[in-house]
Amino acid sequence: MPGETIKSMVPITFLYRNRVGQALETYIDGLKDKKILGIKCPACDKVYVPPRTVCGCCHKKLDTYVEVEQQGTLENFTVAHVTIEGGEIKDAEPYVIGMIKLKGADSLLSAVVKGVAVDKVKTGIRVKAVWKEETQGSYSDLAYFEPA
Amino acid sequence: MGKRVAIVGYKQTKHSFDNLVSRERMVYELVKSLYSDIGITKDAIDTFILASNDFTDGRTISEVYIVPRIGAYMKDESKVESDGLNAALYAYMRIQSGLYDTALAIGFSMSGSEFRAPMINSYVMDPAYERPRGLINFHSIAALQARVYMEKYGFKERDLAKLTVKDLKNANNNPYAARREQKPTVDSVLGSRPLYAPLHEAHVSAYADGAAAVVLASEEAAKRITDKPLWITGVGHSMDTYYLGDRDLLRMDSLRSAGEQAYRMAGIKSPKREIDLAELHTNFASEEPVFAEALGLFKEGSGKEVVANGDSNVDGKMPVNPSGGPLGANPINAAGLIRLVDVCAQLNGEAGKNQVKGAKTGLAHGQDGPGAQQNVVFIVRREK
Amino acid sequence: MKRNVAIISVGYNGRFVSKRPDVNIPELIEPAVTNALGKTKLKPDDIQAYVVGNMHTFEGVNGPHLWASDHFNGSGKPVMRVATGGTTGASVFQAAYYHVASGMYDVVMAIGWEKQDEGDSQVGLVGIVLPEAFTLFQFGPEMNTERGGVGGLGGGGSTGGASYQAMSYLSRAHAGIEHIDRIAALMRSNAAKNPYAHLQQPGCTEADIAKTPIITYPLRFGHTCPTSCGAVAMILVSESKAKKFGLTDRVAWVKGLGSGTSDPTTGNFVEGQITDPAEQHMCKVVAKKVYTMAGIKDPTKEIQVAEVYSGFSHQDLMWPERLGLVKEGKSPEMLDKGAFAIGGEMPINPSGGVTSTNAIGASAMVRVSEAALQVMGLAEGGHQIPMKVENAVAHGWGGLFQFVTVTLVGRTPVKS
Repeated sequence: MPGETIKSMVPITFLYRNRVGQALETYIDGLKDKKILGIKCPACDKVYVPPRTVCGCCHKKLDTYVEVEQQGTLENFTVAHVTIEGGEIKDAEPYVIGMIKLKGADSLLSAVVKGVAVDKVKTGIRVKAVWKEETQGSYSDLAYFEPA
Repeated sequence: MGKRVAIVGYKQTKHSFDNLVSRERMVYELVKSLYSDIGITKDAIDTFILASNDFTDGRTISEVYIVPRIGAYMKDESKVESDGLNAALYAYMRIQSGLYDTALAIGFSMSGSEFRAPMINSYVMDPAYERPRGLINFHSIAALQARVYMEKYGFKERDLAKLTVKDLKNANNNPYAARREQKPTVDSVLGSRPLYAPLHEAHVSAYADGAAAVVLASEEAAKRITDKPLWITGVGHSMDTYYLGDRDLLRMDSLRSAGEQAYRMAGIKSPKREIDLAELHTNFASEEPVFAEALGLFKEGSGKEVVANGDSNVDGKMPVNPSGGPLGANPINAAGLIRLVDVCAQLNGEAGKNQVKGAKTGLAHGQDGPGAQQNVVFIVRREK
Repeated sequence: MKRNVAIISVGYNGRFVSKRPDVNIPELIEPAVTNALGKTKLKPDDIQAYVVGNMHTFEGVNGPHLWASDHFNGSGKPVMRVATGGTTGASVFQAAYYHVASGMYDVVMAIGWEKQDEGDSQVGLVGIVLPEAFTLFQFGPEMNTERGGVGGLGGGGSTGGASYQAMSYLSRAHAGIEHIDRIAALMRSNAAKNPYAHLQQPGCTEADIAKTPIITYPLRFGHTCPTSCGAVAMILVSESKAKKFGLTDRVAWVKGLGSGTSDPTTGNFVEGQITDPAEQHMCKVVAKKVYTMAGIKDPTKEIQVAEVYSGFSHQDLMWPERLGLVKEGKSPEMLDKGAFAIGGEMPINPSGGVTSTNAIGASAMVRVSEAALQVMGLAEGGHQIPMKVENAVAHGWGGLFQFVTVTLVGRTPVKS
């Protein structure tokens, strides 16, 4: 109609088949065996978890996988009151997203932390990995972390 | 290098959440009025740099319908696919090369009405690890950064809320801002929807529809166009690692480096003393003290004190985001360029109620990526 | 006044192929960077800044350079992302040029890539026109995105618009579909001499191409480009650094460069009049500007080789004309007398061109890297032209028939 503003919306959906790559495939294989694998830089000895094929500091190619311990320290966290999926922010029962320094690793691993009240959680606590009973080779095999 | 490059024109749209014109028209009207404001036609522009993104536009090669609207037809044009301050940086380089005398840099998006910013941001997270796990995103990274800052420096939730109120009030006084919060208070901020603690909805920037543009010129060309050029005295840019677990969220290495480069170029030894105001591209209010400190505008860990003394207020020692910053309007791709436009307006005494008295040297910042992974810094100076 | 900029190294990730299920996007890019560095004495930390780009809706990762920063050694360094459709690679290269020419940096790396096995590029291309439904119908793209033919040859997407251009070209040049078959065959056999090319068909003939089905007349599957995965990295340095590195012999100097933008229609407007889709006025304008900058008066004599961006084989005939390398309408004749072959008088795409290899965000940069390798005398596997190359021209094309880039590289820098 003259004088009216028309705003048409065209939803677009694309499908992608993204590859996880060499290092993460190895990591996922490790999860199936209830192992947490990192990758070690031959130059600076840093161990990255999850593994990646290049050291960002030394620019060296990495291929030495090492198993790290399943316990570590909670270095940082946020109490989440929402989930964001597909851009949709949805309310959720409060849960803890932690940044965990595993023994033997130099990078921090993000994971859900359970077994501690959301108003009691604090940095510095020791946490350990809890596995799904039946692992299938996916990120969710490493179910969450809880106080050690 | 060593040529002087001036900003001879700058303009932003009135940002909104429901821009009912097409982005092509929004951009056309902005650029046309900018040209007319400074008394030039499109023919006076030698080269054009856009900042847009195929994801935010929902269209591959998103600039195909935009370039004719900005007057780039039959001209040398290119596009950075990140924050708009990168477009200004590339335009600056083109003039420094000596191949061009004038350049337009423009950034825009319809991030208020056409898509949900968290969705576009979720596509930034890698599809191999972070995206399928759904824990780490722009919001949760900001929360992790905010919490560690608060713990380390005794910065309380009420301090953060007070800082947020400062930005929201500035935004209310800014005719270009999209967000208008009736009487924002510490309690209204803390009472808003909790997201990832300590972040609430009120701390999140206002993803909006909008655009901003600047015209850069070599010294000779600047003299032809304006009698009050603003000079770009320093620029810097840098990128951090993507991996959150490797980053120091408080140090902000890439922002620090971008700032250091810009200060070195501008001959600034003490940013605290030599800079009169800063416009920072904060996607979340909690980023403000962290960024300002990484840029050396405040002492490390001084957030509590700064908020208590009102140091970052419009009339404070170091006004930060006197425009309200992205909390007032954050059109993706334009936000960093809007910072530059706001700095220019301040230096020319055009910022109305938010005017910083006697502002002579300003800092504009733009960022891109999760947790401000890539950063750009501009130092702009008024001569007289 | 102006700073001279030299290309000192080119690296590919390996051979371009249709699928790389073994790696993710950063892992695809990394070897190109390592190989480019490996051909010099430079270490990663010697690179002062990076300019990078791809067409990210094709892989569904918004700004994959962020994720890949460690893999191209960009963490802790200035990084700029540039993307402009088909011309992306050339736009990235040109932005890297300006990084050096501005005086801000002396050593810069440009990287372009695409990993097309992760998405559907033709759907990605339809995404340009989808919001403008009328344009879509006008263009009449082939919506069927099923793969067919050799090595994942894809039709659809932009083929519809291109067939108008191909028809127009043929009638202007008084040529037939057999000329498109012939040039397509030449490209595939050139590709067989390039160890990095995707579709390698040694001794490919006109008859082999003619066997492939028509998509929209006069374009066949054999005239379209494959969807490839691959990455290219190039190192650009200032003149003073080139001297310091002792690298003034085997370098390619950037003598002229430019891009141009027309309007998004199959037949671009010139002075208010719509032209036929094979006019490509913009290309002529940009080429002229670039030749002037490079001090080239007669491109037919002073330029020895060209790498042109042809998503469709008829363009391998059209672009040399628009770039002023042969007279208008004379490409079919030049092709027939062998002038476009590797040993001919004006070799076109000794690399095999885009119709043999198309990793979109890399393709327009590969034109520049291949032109540079020809100047440096380093094109591998028998695709180095026998003539001494004083000047080579690289062309890029994209958008909706509207973006053009031209880059001229040569053995001796322009005196400023």
